[in-house]
Amino acid sequence: MSTTTKWACIAAAGFLFLATVDWKAFAGPKGNGETVTTSTTESSTQLSGQELWSMNCQRCHNMRSPVMYTNSQWEVIVHHMRVRANLTGADARAIADFLKSGER
Amino acid sequence: MKTTQSYLLAALLQGAFFTLACPLVSAQETAGDYVSRKEYEELKAELLAMKKELAGLKKSRQAESSSSSESPKTQAAVAEAGKTVVPPSAPPEAALKESPLGLTNFHIAGWGSATYEARNGNVSDFTVSFNPIFLWQLSPKLLFDARLEIEPSGSGTNVELEYAELSYLLNDYITLAIGEFFSPSNVFVERFEPLWINKLPDRPLAVYDGVLPERSFGFQVRGGIPLGPTRANYSFYVANGPQLNVFSATRAGMLEFQDFSDNNDNKAFGGRVGFLPLPGVEVGYGFEIAKPGTQGTDFADVDSLLQSVDLNITRDSEMLRGRFDFHAQYAWSHVDEATYDPNGVFGFGPLTFESERDGGYVQLAYRPTRLDGDFVKNLELVGRWDHLSRAPSGLGVSQEERWSLGLNYWLGPGVVVKAAYEWDNAHDEPNRDAWFLQVATGF
Repeated sequence: MSTTTKWACIAAAGFLFLATVDWKAFAGPKGNGETVTTSTTESSTQLSGQELWSMNCQRCHNMRSPVMYTNSQWEVIVHHMRVRANLTGADARAIADFLKSGER
Repeated sequence: MKTTQSYLLAALLQGAFFTLACPLVSAQETAGDYVSRKEYEELKAELLAMKKELAGLKKSRQAESSSSSESPKTQAAVAEAGKTVVPPSAPPEAALKESPLGLTNFHIAGWGSATYEARNGNVSDFTVSFNPIFLWQLSPKLLFDARLEIEPSGSGTNVELEYAELSYLLNDYITLAIGEFFSPSNVFVERFEPLWINKLPDRPLAVYDGVLPERSFGFQVRGGIPLGPTRANYSFYVANGPQLNVFSATRAGMLEFQDFSDNNDNKAFGGRVGFLPLPGVEVGYGFEIAKPGTQGTDFADVDSLLQSVDLNITRDSEMLRGRFDFHAQYAWSHVDEATYDPNGVFGFGPLTFESERDGGYVQLAYRPTRLDGDFVKNLELVGRWDHLSRAPSGLGVSQEERWSLGLNYWLGPGVVVKAAYEWDNAHDEPNRDAWFLQVATGF
């Protein structure tokens, strides 16, 4: 495959992606509100814990349900992810509060 | 008058009788069902002690149920009260939380995988790996985390320390860390490498024994910053750094990242800055500058520069009824001009050149999460292109290019079955195409 063809394929894939993205959704990401309780804790930029959970976690991996772990487990996991994903303290606390609201 | 005297006499006789009779009665009571003053006082003291213990227990239980919302001062007071009633082998939670090195929160995460690989030119092979991550929250600000890679090797088992890091949350925006850590400039290794996250069974060429380091030993400062509705993040580090290969004809001029001991007093400085203009969109720039030559040799003053750009987009699309994951990264490596094998001792010199290498990947995945039917919405299609220039000396394989196509099925949020085919073309070599089957689970 020639270099031109290679970059054409990459550009086409990028264009397809950008053209099909629901840009309005960027205004406020939605979490899985049907199955989990919404937290009222908000971060410094007024996004709820559920929104921040939805925004940040699935940047890298599938989201885990709040009921998967206990409160103390979530505390450690969110601490770990705050360091790994470079979350601000306010965002991490809002996410932790939301995840803890669904304790088993 | 006589009557009055009779009454007085009767009263005196009765007083004398009771005066004599009381000690006898008192003696009988002491030996019977009643208590003495001394016993009464002892019982009273015991009751007060029990009340004090009960109050201590109540405070201890209240502290356990509301320790997160109470001030440290209150916790300390409760913990102090609890010390009088709780055995030393089971200290109250409040006391542990107050401790700078408590044992309150420990968690094991990680993943496991089993892979079948059939690569052209190699015998087909099954492999398994177990990668536990140990998370130990020593205090609300202090975290120790480490990851092992455990996998069969020959007739034994190979255990490798992937990273071990102690981090401290200085404030909401700054985290300090020391130890062995994933190089922040290599965003794939830091975030997407775990096999339950990586959407293909194999890793991109440029980030695996390629242009960028995977791990570093040193110190780093990192964190996130809110910028209005957007976010930025940063990671800067000082580490041992890479070593310059000067002995091998095919690898001369390449930076070696696998030897973690340092070869000079110069430390590498690097980092990555990321910007999230929109939710689910991140662009990043990473770099590392170093002096990779061995101290005391002609290569000691040779400088190297690594640079990397990356773009990561994850978004649900209503129009295409599913979720897209787009990851792209490209990296460049530069080493200043140097003369390798100047005396011809290694059989390929003298050879003078500037070492330039580059490589990267583009990956797109689609999962129709908004379609009806559990089977269909759990499928995921993945495609990836990746490239690596290999021998800057011009004496080995010049470059390698791969295309990969994979189909995944998600059994759960952290359990995936992958099937993939990889077209692998290293210039001037037979193709190294490969089939993969892999099961990976994150926990």
